[in-house]
Amino acid sequence: MFFQQLITGISVGGIYALLATGYSLIYSLLDFSNWSHGEFAMIGAYTAIVFSTVVKAPFALAALAGVAGGALVSFLCERFAYRRIRRNGAPNMFLMIAAMGLSNVFQQASNLIFTGQYRSYPFQLPVSTVKVGSAYIGVLDVVSLLITAVVLMALIYMINKTQFGLNVRAIANNAGAAKVLGIKVDSNIAKVFLLAGSLAGVAGVLYGMKYNVFPTMGNVGLKAFIASVIGGLGSVPGAIVGAMLLGVLETFVSAYISSSLRDFFSFALLIVLLLVKPSGLFGVDVQDKA
Amino acid sequence: MKKLAAILLSAAMAVTLVACGGGSTAPASSAPAESAAPAESAEEAAAPAAEGDTIKIGYISDLTGATSLWGTAGQHGAELAIQDINAEGGILGKQVELIAMDGKGEAADSVSALKKMVEENSIVAEIGTNFSSCNIPMASVADEAHVPIIGTAASNELVTVDENGNLHPYSFRMCFIDSYLGTVIGNYATKTLGMKNAALFTVAGNTNSESVGAFIKDAFEANGGTLVAEEQCQEGDVDFRTQLANIGSKNPEIIFVVMNDYAKTATFAKQAREMGIECLLMGHDGWDSAQLAGEAGGALEGCYYVSRIGFNTPEAKAFGERVVAEYGGTMEAECLFGRDGVYWIKDAIERAGSADPEAVRDALEQTDVFEGLIGTLVMDAETHNPSMACAIYECKGDAFEFKEIVEAQ
Repeated sequence: MFFQQLITGISVGGIYALLATGYSLIYSLLDFSNWSHGEFAMIGAYTAIVFSTVVKAPFALAALAGVAGGALVSFLCERFAYRRIRRNGAPNMFLMIAAMGLSNVFQQASNLIFTGQYRSYPFQLPVSTVKVGSAYIGVLDVVSLLITAVVLMALIYMINKTQFGLNVRAIANNAGAAKVLGIKVDSNIAKVFLLAGSLAGVAGVLYGMKYNVFPTMGNVGLKAFIASVIGGLGSVPGAIVGAMLLGVLETFVSAYISSSLRDFFSFALLIVLLLVKPSGLFGVDVQDKA
Repeated sequence: MKKLAAILLSAAMAVTLVACGGGSTAPASSAPAESAAPAESAEEAAAPAAEGDTIKIGYISDLTGATSLWGTAGQHGAELAIQDINAEGGILGKQVELIAMDGKGEAADSVSALKKMVEENSIVAEIGTNFSSCNIPMASVADEAHVPIIGTAASNELVTVDENGNLHPYSFRMCFIDSYLGTVIGNYATKTLGMKNAALFTVAGNTNSESVGAFIKDAFEANGGTLVAEEQCQEGDVDFRTQLANIGSKNPEIIFVVMNDYAKTATFAKQAREMGIECLLMGHDGWDSAQLAGEAGGALEGCYYVSRIGFNTPEAKAFGERVVAEYGGTMEAECLFGRDGVYWIKDAIERAGSADPEAVRDALEQTDVFEGLIGTLVMDAETHNPSMACAIYECKGDAFEFKEIVEAQ
């Protein structure tokens, strides 16, 4: 029982992690919470649906198209909305409001285009389970956890070991100084949005495979946001740890206390953590949280 | 910030509303021309005719708006029933006439339509609407005017009983209240399927889910069954494995899944099978969707849900086809309500031996059993909530099939 619930918690946490890292990346650069981030996952999931049902592409290709779809929309949001607001010298609050607006627009638009109907991929996904001890582990869960792990490890490598990662860290530290030293701030920000969008796309496709695709599925972004705050906004490893912690906590609360108290515990954890350690578990930046 | 968010939200809502409106004007636009004409001509024709020459039955529903698909279906069903009755000599030797008025699906319009037909047309009784929101305020008007009204699909408890638990003596309905299905499910699981141990799964904070769940529990335990696990999820949840692990550890023979969203029910079933839980799943009318069986991909094979009978009897199907042949459109169960409303009033008038509204009210209340196309209806004089026959549907392959009728209980 305990083992079973732990597995479930980790698999829920994996989806949170893919989205939470996106929140963290963008927050670290621009100091604002990109509220439309969850919708990038939804758009990625629908892109994969369109590719697999209308274009009739094989699933691997449709999934890649989904990832690309999330990345593209994220990039376009930056290019045509956030960048302009930044250039106007408007306060960060404006970015957040724009993001909320975009989130609504995307949700309503997908409601209009695809209707509220639930959709699933037209492929027989592996629904078999492996019995480990007393626990059942879904093959799909294992596959999606593996993909999540690989993607997140690649992300951490990219941030810590590549020139691009160094640039991003430099901008996060001091954008003005980075610019003076010859780092192209705007193009690096655009790349981060592409990266965050593609992570959201992965999350969206995996989420769609496990559950269903529907216009409000991006609401899972709220949980991912909490996870990234718990981990410390702006910290990628923090976001991953926060997401796993939140996934497991939610599962255990549902299993051993009560499902109706689950969200109460999630938010209580957030509040307690903000009181005790305002910068989050791995956080570096204290002020202007959320 | 809130203001801007509000503006954005309202803009988005406006966009959706416009889009929705665009989709539904097509069926609605054809309706007013058809429905308004008979209503007006009926009123004009009624005026010169001497009082008592004809028996007038009112019908109020949305005849022109977004939900006129149902409203007009009910009107057509009632008209066809009256044609049949008149062809056979009417009621107590008098011809019957339908006074149909547009309530637009709005409480205020429905109330004024009812007042108008009581004052100007001296109706014996009124049928409709199909919305609880309209019938709740109409009930007080009916009580004052001493004219019985019969809601069709208005399933909220407050339609026939006010907040203090006092009966609206002139308000009736032809559908069962939401929680009634719970009793049917609990009884069927124990008496017909012979289940002893069950688990119950409901959605926390969802009134329908929780109240149906409570009635399942009462009926199941009253018949000697044991509820070994009770779990809940929250609105919007998509992963039920945590609760399923708890349920699975108790080894129930059946799980009652009371969710109003077919995709969630399908996900629940798939996750249950993935976790090695092979027992029977059973649900209420929240399962009523053509997509459910396919979406579950075999995970619901052999499982049941309980809902209305609809067009699953040959008589109901034949009547539905007649309505479509006569008036066009699609087969909507509302036409059965319109038809049955007329026949129920006929039954009451004949038992009362008079077309006086108060006598008709008493006769409606004293209905033992009314055999209609919507199924057998048994009246509860205390609450005016009927018990009705329901249908059991079983999942076979990619679809749920009508299995059998369970009598009113």
